[in-house]
Amino acid sequence: MSTMLIQIRSGTMMNMDTNVLVKLAQAALDRGHAVKVFAYGEGISALKDGQDPKRFPNVGGILREQISQGLTLVACETCCHARGMRRGEEFEGSKIGSMTNDLSVFVSECDRMVTLAR
Amino acid sequence: MRSKLFLLLKSPREFHALEEMEAIAGEADRAAVLLNDAALFATQEGRLEELLQVCPEVFVMKDDLQARGLDPCPGVVEIDYHQLVELIMDEYDQTVTL
Repeated sequence: MSTMLIQIRSGTMMNMDTNVLVKLAQAALDRGHAVKVFAYGEGISALKDGQDPKRFPNVGGILREQISQGLTLVACETCCHARGMRRGEEFEGSKIGSMTNDLSVFVSECDRMVTLAR
Repeated sequence: MRSKLFLLLKSPREFHALEEMEAIAGEADRAAVLLNDAALFATQEGRLEELLQVCPEVFVMKDDLQARGLDPCPGVVEIDYHQLVELIMDEYDQTVTL
């Protein structure tokens, strides 16, 4: 099984990048790849529990479902801290981690890395 | 050299990185995928021609064309997300997002 690492740096309400994230992740999962997502910068909004957008896709809800399919979702702790998002505000199955302990390992172990950012 | 798959997300109006693409690709095989507002490249002959001079193969996401009610110019290949995964995981060595 090959592993795709996706680094998301755009927020869920900023533009359509997080929609690309969930569509790309789903297609990769469907094709039997492992998918790891590292949220950095504004991308940490993807992990926030309780997302309830009225006119946009619920990226958090989709990611939560994809975690049940095997997707790994980790956010940068420093980015969360800077934005006032505390440990425990992430939805179940996701994790507030770090570049040192998580991203570095993901990069070293993945077969391909995709960055979604502006 | 490692082959490069460029992922373009910005509209032609916002995108000014053709020289960077050329520099990053060097002598490597390369292609571009148009996502989100970058799909507009596929409908603007002049900008598409500039892009094709740097990347001989250009793909565009069907979803993004359909969402905008657009038809692509000749020379662009429409793909879905499963085909994009194949390009990323099997066909090219690296992706570069611009």
